Amino acid sequence: MPWPVYLALKQLFPTGRVSFFTLISVLGVGLGVALMLVSSSVMGGFGHQIRQMIIDTQGEVQIRGRGPFAPDAAIEKAIASVPAVAAAAPYAQGVVMLEFERRPAFPTIQGFDLDRMRKVIPLERYLKAGSLDDVDDDSVILSSILANSIGARIGDKISVYSPLMLERFKRNEVLLPREVRVAGIFEIGHQQLDSSTVICSLRLMQDLYGLDHLVHGYNVRLKPGADPDAAAAALNAVLPPVAGALTWFEANADFQAVVAFERNMIFFLLTFIVIVAAFSITSSLLVTVVRKTREIGLLGAMGGRAAQVAACFCAQGLFIGTAGTAVGLALGATLLHYRDNIVGLVAGATMGRDVFVKFYQFSHLPAYTETKDVVVIIVFSIVASTLAGLIPAWRAARLKPVEALRSE
Amino acid sequence: MQPPEAKSGSDSLGVERSAFGVGRSGSVLRAAGLRKTYPSGDRTLEVLRGVDLSVAAGETVSVRGESGSGKSTLLNVLAGLDRPDAGELTWAGEAAHRLSLSELTERRGRFLGMVFQSYYLIPELNAVANVLMAARLVGAAGAAERARAANLLKQVGLAERAHHLPAHLSGGERQRVAVARALMNKPAVILADEPTGNLDERTGDEVINLLLQVCADERTALVLVTHNPAHARKCGRQLLLKNGVIGQP
Repeated sequence: MPWPVYLALKQLFPTGRVSFFTLISVLGVGLGVALMLVSSSVMGGFGHQIRQMIIDTQGEVQIRGRGPFAPDAAIEKAIASVPAVAAAAPYAQGVVMLEFERRPAFPTIQGFDLDRMRKVIPLERYLKAGSLDDVDDDSVILSSILANSIGARIGDKISVYSPLMLERFKRNEVLLPREVRVAGIFEIGHQQLDSSTVICSLRLMQDLYGLDHLVHGYNVRLKPGADPDAAAAALNAVLPPVAGALTWFEANADFQAVVAFERNMIFFLLTFIVIVAAFSITSSLLVTVVRKTREIGLLGAMGGRAAQVAACFCAQGLFIGTAGTAVGLALGATLLHYRDNIVGLVAGATMGRDVFVKFYQFSHLPAYTETKDVVVIIVFSIVASTLAGLIPAWRAARLKPVEALRSE
Repeated sequence: MQPPEAKSGSDSLGVERSAFGVGRSGSVLRAAGLRKTYPSGDRTLEVLRGVDLSVAAGETVSVRGESGSGKSTLLNVLAGLDRPDAGELTWAGEAAHRLSLSELTERRGRFLGMVFQSYYLIPELNAVANVLMAARLVGAAGAAERARAANLLKQVGLAERAHHLPAHLSGGERQRVAVARALMNKPAVILADEPTGNLDERTGDEVINLLLQVCADERTALVLVTHNPAHARKCGRQLLLKNGVIGQP
């Protein structure tokens, strides 16, 4: 083992113990790494959860019309001609007002061809009560928070007012809401969708909006392993001009950009923790250089070259960075493993779990760790710690042995 | 004391003897006309004013002088740690004053051993690791070097304390470790700068006797800077540094 490496290890880990300086420095880097890992994993988890939710509720590709369009044979044939497409279901959507026992709500309503929809959107997976088989043209499925907010249960009759009725109201016509039965309640796990979504048959939606037989688009499920970008491009090549295909990412580009921006910003801000830790390593190693000036002089007097003395201090930064990164990864993995317990404790001790869930819009803290992120964290923290040893190393290398040995 | 002749070769433990031989003049260390000045305010302090010194292989030489007479400066210049302003320095026939700093550093590790007043042991290393550090610094720390380090500690009477940290050793024991370290690479010369300065009289005597004994055993030349006349008299040759020049006491 080269002596700079040997001596660096001995100075950091003297026989039988870990020096206090080493302990504090390793913990500093470790905390930074743990926070970076936890934050990137949790943000990745939210992103992953949102991605899965979007695909589950829209399919991987969405065909949108320039306006309402007829789901005629030409479109159906064009969609079916793309090999990557596994299934497609037409939809129409809008906003309605619901009322049940004088409690109003203004949710988004989505109408599907229910038979075809089952092959595209796995709604059964999210049903908490009721059955899709019970849904007809006079019934709806409510999202869970929405159902709770108006107090509706399975079998209750609720009133639905559509914008079309407002048009009639302006013409002084009698305004009669559509009475529909609650056939099911679903919960996706996303607060926004769970608090304001109604699902119904395509026929009911077309009636409410006066669309006749027109639709707003298609949700498309791709075959396993198919590339959404390639599939959307293939669909755009064969679709008539009335409609265009978008991938799930493009269809939610603004939202995805916000999620990515938040994730990158949090990651960026947390890198400063590691940078601060690196500065503390620099500071501590500089103190060590001053404290060990005569030892550094001795090394030079005994044949140690200036570059080797510098390497000894750089190696200390490297070892602290490596040990701190290992500790940080272990700590981060532990925090991620027990994240729901930790969130539960924090929520219980502060605002209460229910309020917490309502306020932060999640009940289970998701986590998804990308290998790329872990590699970036490891490389960044080790490089920052090693660079932290450069200034002390430079100071040590500049010391002339004869002057260092004379120092008091 | 009749100095033994220095040779190249390997000892019984298989460690290569220093490659440095003896110069054509028969000396392993030779200084001629060494001059060294230091700036002192707006004046120049002339510390060495033409020092001539020749040390034969295995010879022991003491250098005495008043405080501030330049004894430590002389040792630093002889060790290549400080550059002379003028004069020649020869290490085993090689003109050391012409070598670059990196060449001096590289050769110093094998040619010279140094013993300081303040021991300068590395506190994180135990006694045997401190001795072995001298070998590590010149890139050799194999099984033979480990055995030699252990044997040197045995020679200086610290076999039982080999795995103790410097903090757990007395001053005399620390200096004995420093002596063993100085001998580790089988140097041609040991330069000792007041090695008993921090020790009581009895312990100081023990260390000097030990230093002279191991230098004789290892056939290593010794330049001993000391204030103590009794210690100086134990060396084969006694010199006095006065007014920047070397003379007889």
